[in-house]
Amino acid sequence: MSVDPAMAADTGEPGSLGPILSVRSLQAHFRTTHFGINRFVRAVDGVSFDVKRGEIYGLAGESSSGKTTLVKTIAGAIKPPLEVVGGTIEFAFLPGYGGLHRTPPAMVAQIRWRHLSYIMQGSMSLLNPVRRLRQSFIDFARPHLAGTGKEFETAVIGHLARVKLDASVLEAYPHELSGGMRQRAIIALATICRPDFIIADEPTTALDVVVQKDVLGMIRGIQREIGSSVLFVTHDMGVHAHLTDRLGIMYAGHLVEEATTPEIFHNALHPYTKHLISSLPRIGDDVQRKGLEGAPPNLADPPPGCRFHPRCPQAMEVCSRRVPEMVETASAHRVACFAVNGGAEP
Amino acid sequence: MSGYLAYIAKRLAQFVLVVFIGINLAYVITHATPIDPVEQSISAVTSFGNTSPEAIAQMRISLRELYGLEGSALHQYLVFWKRILRADFGPSLSAFPTPVSTLIARALPWTTGLLVVSTIVAWVLGNWLGGLAGYYRKSRGLKLLGVIAMGLHPMPYYILALLLLIVFGFLWPVLPIGGGSAMNLPQAWTWAFAASVLQHAVLPALSLILIGVGSWFLGMRSLVSNVVTEDYVIYAELAGVDSRRVLTSYVMRNALIPQVTGLAMSLGGIFNGAVITEKVFGYPGVGSLLVDAVYAGDYGLVLGVTTISILGVSIGVLAIDLLYPLLDPRVKVS
Amino acid sequence: MLAILRDLLRYNVEFRFGIVLVGFVFVLSLLSFVSPYPPQDLYVVPPDAPPSLTYWLGTTSRGQDVFWQLTFAIRNTLLFGCTVALISRVLALVIGLLSGYKGGWIDRVLMSVNDTFIVIPLLPILVLFYFVMRDSMSWLMLALIMACLGWAYDARLIRSVAISLKTREFTQSSVFSGMSTREILMQEHLPYVMPIVFSTTMNNMIWSIGLEVTLAVLGFTDINTPTIGGMIYWANQHTAMVAGIWWWIAFPTIAVIMTFIGLFLLAVSMNEYIDPRSRLGRMGRVTS
Repeated sequence: MSVDPAMAADTGEPGSLGPILSVRSLQAHFRTTHFGINRFVRAVDGVSFDVKRGEIYGLAGESSSGKTTLVKTIAGAIKPPLEVVGGTIEFAFLPGYGGLHRTPPAMVAQIRWRHLSYIMQGSMSLLNPVRRLRQSFIDFARPHLAGTGKEFETAVIGHLARVKLDASVLEAYPHELSGGMRQRAIIALATICRPDFIIADEPTTALDVVVQKDVLGMIRGIQREIGSSVLFVTHDMGVHAHLTDRLGIMYAGHLVEEATTPEIFHNALHPYTKHLISSLPRIGDDVQRKGLEGAPPNLADPPPGCRFHPRCPQAMEVCSRRVPEMVETASAHRVACFAVNGGAEP
Repeated sequence: MSGYLAYIAKRLAQFVLVVFIGINLAYVITHATPIDPVEQSISAVTSFGNTSPEAIAQMRISLRELYGLEGSALHQYLVFWKRILRADFGPSLSAFPTPVSTLIARALPWTTGLLVVSTIVAWVLGNWLGGLAGYYRKSRGLKLLGVIAMGLHPMPYYILALLLLIVFGFLWPVLPIGGGSAMNLPQAWTWAFAASVLQHAVLPALSLILIGVGSWFLGMRSLVSNVVTEDYVIYAELAGVDSRRVLTSYVMRNALIPQVTGLAMSLGGIFNGAVITEKVFGYPGVGSLLVDAVYAGDYGLVLGVTTISILGVSIGVLAIDLLYPLLDPRVKVS
Repeated sequence: MLAILRDLLRYNVEFRFGIVLVGFVFVLSLLSFVSPYPPQDLYVVPPDAPPSLTYWLGTTSRGQDVFWQLTFAIRNTLLFGCTVALISRVLALVIGLLSGYKGGWIDRVLMSVNDTFIVIPLLPILVLFYFVMRDSMSWLMLALIMACLGWAYDARLIRSVAISLKTREFTQSSVFSGMSTREILMQEHLPYVMPIVFSTTMNNMIWSIGLEVTLAVLGFTDINTPTIGGMIYWANQHTAMVAGIWWWIAFPTIAVIMTFIGLFLLAVSMNEYIDPRSRLGRMGRVTS
């Protein structure tokens, strides 16, 4: 099957055609074998969601919730000890394979960067330290853009201007740029081929607040301009409020709630989400914050049933026996919780 | 730019320090020991035959003066340094009256040629193969090379030279095992001479290269397997950059940097290996010169070769240090 | 500690090989204590006899049994290596820890001197030592000299560990609680540094024994104390190769190769075990 060029993301209405990404029952584990001891860490355990065209979908959750593993799997960055154990990942521009890890390498090479780009976590060290920036652009983007070298150079400079970077940064080595400049360069690098789908994993975490606001604005600006869809991962709820259209909350390898961002913030249903929202400081609010008891579970040996039940203030008896399914409550609002959906025996 | 100049200045200062300490070390060893080098030389020289007591007394006086052992300690020190700076090591006892500097000058090109060629070949070949082995972990051929390298790396230079000597000298005599060139060829810039030189250099060079490749292979393989876990490599692979390009421009290029430092640090050891290899194959370099000088009790020659060795290796290290910023652009910043 | 050794033995092929080789050599050296012939005695057996049931590895041209001579040679060589390694460990630890922890001008001065000793080619220096000392250079003296020259490389390694320890929290708390530098280095930092010390000990032994063999082969050491290099020296003096007495050279050579490869494999496997990144790489590899 070939990649359909008509599936370009410049559609206008978000959601007018099918979703750009469709994940069903994805399971990805880390298998470690160390001196004879086998261990499975169930980092992503049955996640299903869609990302519509032209939207910014946020993934929230604390560390070890599995969100980074989830996006790595979607992006096809699967190397031992990580394994995909089940489920499918369907991109609109690569139908029928069930995931990049099942796609022949030649097709993958066509997809990467042109239709799917990835801003990895840890932006400080994403660029080759012994090569100038120009070389990174040539390595990453040149194979996907038609035209002569000169035309490419002009396109790159024009694109850099969008993130407010001067053409002179092309001559620089990564260590000569400030953190903010490096991050903006990475964003430019990830968007220059106008991909349909961008995955951004904590792209602003290492930056100070002022630069962070700038960079977020740039991401949104470029996204609106190109019309790409973005899967934005961060634990920072404030960033989600600022940027995303829809929000999915992850806990311990499961997706526990999903709704539009305003809906999540004003009408959170899952106990964990409620806790996340309430932990955000509000101006004028002087109520003392209460932390959740306990700690995130050990994913090699997770608790039976709902993984949140040991810490949940609304835990019921059924929560320790069965895993709650995602049920659509209101319009486009899904929750996986017995307390919300009812825990009646089947 | 000023960062680079500061770096050069630091490296030059280190170079001067090394040479200074090294030569002072040689001085301390020779002058601060209770053994008298003059007596050593005399006993070595007179052990082969009869020498009259007057001749010995005469020798003692001339040697003391020749070796700068007259006068107070400070005077000796100054004389020592004055002579070194003029490259005047006096006449050689074993090849009297040829000055030591002439003997060294004759032997130096042989050693330099052997060392430079073997080191470069071993470094390039070893790093390239090791890089491939670290990147393509599944290749059986490369894994086999790894096992061979594990056998070669810890091998002492002498043993390998001996093994090569036995194999190519006695079992399968296809290569010459002695000398730098055929005995009856005049040392002129002719094709015949060049060919003969190359032929005679094969075994000593092979000895040095095999061990070198083993060491660089293992080091590079281990470095590369660490570098491939770096963020920028994973990112480039994730972005679909062609894997050959990732190997050369992202992985090897970064892994080579510590190997350059390693090269500078191992020059001393490689030189040691060259000394013993030269002796085994009778190669007319400074190594053979040194060993023969000790046997002959030629104090001036031993001191001269030691000094030149220290100087030569330090220059080699300096050269590598100065080339280092070309490979690693981050060094200008610190 | 024992658990670590057991794990290494079970899962690390290189460690197994290394232990076998080094163990074999070590047992050989222990046999020297039951040797029927004192090591320095000459002409105690018929010379130039090839390996047979009476003389397992043959005899030398000097009338010594190669096998029993070899046991002494290995024992002395190993002892030599251990002595150098021990003394230079102490030096490397002191200089590395002090330099890494103190920093500043102490660090700069020590490291400049350190790099000097890395660069200077040691063989000519040792040859010079031999030249001026000749017969009064016992192997203990040589070991001392080599230890004083061979700490440089490992001092640097220890220094980098010390630098990373300096910035850790427990160091700060030790400083605040009023511990002296010496106390901090010895009680807090030393345990972290020990793994590197172990693996560098193997490498140092390889280095020192190699240098000793080189010097002995040239005749630049105390050739009356039997060492492996010494055996080869005497074999060369009696032109053993040409005379066809191959066993005199072959067996010491094999012994030294076994020692080196064994030590090297031990060093490599311990290094790999210690390095956390390689541990991560080993995970996910399915061992049968």
